Amino acid sequence: MQEFLQHTLNGLSTGSIYALVALGYTMVYGILQMINFAHSEIYMLGAFAVYYVARFFGLNTPSTLNFIIGLLSAIVACGLVGFAVERFAYKPLRKTDKLNVLITAIGVSILFQFGGQIIFGADPKSFPDLIENTELFNFLEIPFNVVDLLIYGVTFASLIALTYLVNYTQRGRAMRAVSTKPDAAKLMGINNDSIISFTFVVGSVLAGIGAFLVATKYPKIDPMMGARIGMGAFVAAVFGGIGNLPGAVLGGYLLGLGECYLIGYGASTFREALSFFILILILLVKPNGLLGKTAKEKI
Amino acid sequence: MSLKSKIIFLVCFVGLGIALNFFLNSYIQALAISFMINSIMAMSLNFITGVANQFSLGSAGFVAVGAYTSAVLTKEVFNDQWYFIPLTALIGACVAAFAGYLVSLPSFKLKGDYLAIVTLGFAEIVRVIFLNWNHVGGPRGYNAIVKWPNFTMAYLFTGAAVLITLYVLYSLKISWFGRNLWALNEDEIAAEVMGTPIAKNKRTAFLISSFFGGLAGGFYAHNMGYISPGSFGFLLSVQVLIITVLGGLGSISGSIIASIILTVLPELLRSLPTKVDVRMIVFPILLILMMIVRPEGLFGKKEIWTFFKKEGGS
Repeated sequence: MQEFLQHTLNGLSTGSIYALVALGYTMVYGILQMINFAHSEIYMLGAFAVYYVARFFGLNTPSTLNFIIGLLSAIVACGLVGFAVERFAYKPLRKTDKLNVLITAIGVSILFQFGGQIIFGADPKSFPDLIENTELFNFLEIPFNVVDLLIYGVTFASLIALTYLVNYTQRGRAMRAVSTKPDAAKLMGINNDSIISFTFVVGSVLAGIGAFLVATKYPKIDPMMGARIGMGAFVAAVFGGIGNLPGAVLGGYLLGLGECYLIGYGASTFREALSFFILILILLVKPNGLLGKTAKEKI
Repeated sequence: MSLKSKIIFLVCFVGLGIALNFFLNSYIQALAISFMINSIMAMSLNFITGVANQFSLGSAGFVAVGAYTSAVLTKEVFNDQWYFIPLTALIGACVAAFAGYLVSLPSFKLKGDYLAIVTLGFAEIVRVIFLNWNHVGGPRGYNAIVKWPNFTMAYLFTGAAVLITLYVLYSLKISWFGRNLWALNEDEIAAEVMGTPIAKNKRTAFLISSFFGGLAGGFYAHNMGYISPGSFGFLLSVQVLIITVLGGLGSISGSIIASIILTVLPELLRSLPTKVDVRMIVFPILLILMMIVRPEGLFGKKEIWTFFKKEGGS
């Protein structure tokens, strides 16, 4: 029983990370109908940005200030990279075939992965300790740590903030308009390019926050860390219904739990295949995902 | 082609194989064979992605299925006799085609990019299965696969496979079925309205594509003599994709030219002092630049020979 609870807890924490990254995928897919393969590499760059900022300023002690500096550097770096990728790689292709954008996205992703290996080095780096991971309380002999709770909190806060942004603000209405009918949105006086840029930046910032939290929990970062989590997060987004914000979070948690039970009960070598197996099942049974109902629900 | 030019071509093809056996060093010979195998892979991807406009990211999966099937068959059924290689490669291709059929079942229920993700997932699942399958070596890979006895044989059979692939895929491309695929490529809704069974056509095209992917796998295994799950990762799929895009999506023969370029180019860059595989820096940059500057690739949708015709030809 205790073992089961422990696996559940690990699953929830892995799932939160999938959820955070999946939110980014789902945002971009919702507005452009495009799989942003480079999203997981932006996540990776976020972790490295914090690593280098911390090294530059010599931050290596747990304190609130250091934590905030770390978080801000991840947010700023990822926002900038997300903006730049959209501006220089995807925007010139806005008018062409969707396939071209997809191919470019793969190119950007591979470039960051291997460029990262050249610039940062392929060996794992140890992430600075910016927050004290103390045990807050103990439930049935299972420790609840600060970082775990932070991860859950941030995931739900992001979900609520994004839902608010998309559904109840002027900008969110513009985003939904661009997603539904880009040409009509333009006629209504919406600046499509700036809305799309904004969506990319928001998605990338989420990836940055996720990367920062993951690196705090598992303080080893390397240039392939994005590739390891990226496909899982994408599958989570499809699982929950791509384009649907709560769906991405639900999909992330289900996938995280599934993976942790699989590892916990002894089939760890099949871990990488699980997400794709789920994906194929979901496409066979419920192709629109768990929560995806109508096309109108897309952001 | 007239009968006479066919015979001349055949004589040249065989003669070149025998002559090159003496004139080229083994390094260039190995490059030549690997170029041929790459071009089969690229042509197979080109049929589904270029002609039918269905984006697949799982070439490596079908190549792996073909390679393992063929390698295991020659060793365990045909007692390491090299002249069974074409047969086992063909069986491997059929198994890959069957796998392709299974993959195509869930993939074409929805429009959009799902095929890319499903095929990517399929390739990953195949890799994990071989990784966990101890009978075929698991993570250590499958060793001591029988190889071609000499370069001439390798050249003749692999070259023949390239020519057959080119001939079959090109014929299909200009056939009635191929025109259905073009229609689907241009406008799916219009194609459906015209009464072409789009889901069925996509499935058939995917099956054909995976067949040739598997065929390339068989030749790959017997050329290398050693295969491991690591050789069939995502990067192989990306490499095939880059060759296809460079040659031009829809230009079957363009894939052959592009695979010459992209087989030789990395060898020239091999001397650069980096620890990381330099191909994986050059290829994506090439890919991104090409998408922005010349998205149609070298030859667009045209075949090479249309450029040599004096008139007509489009």
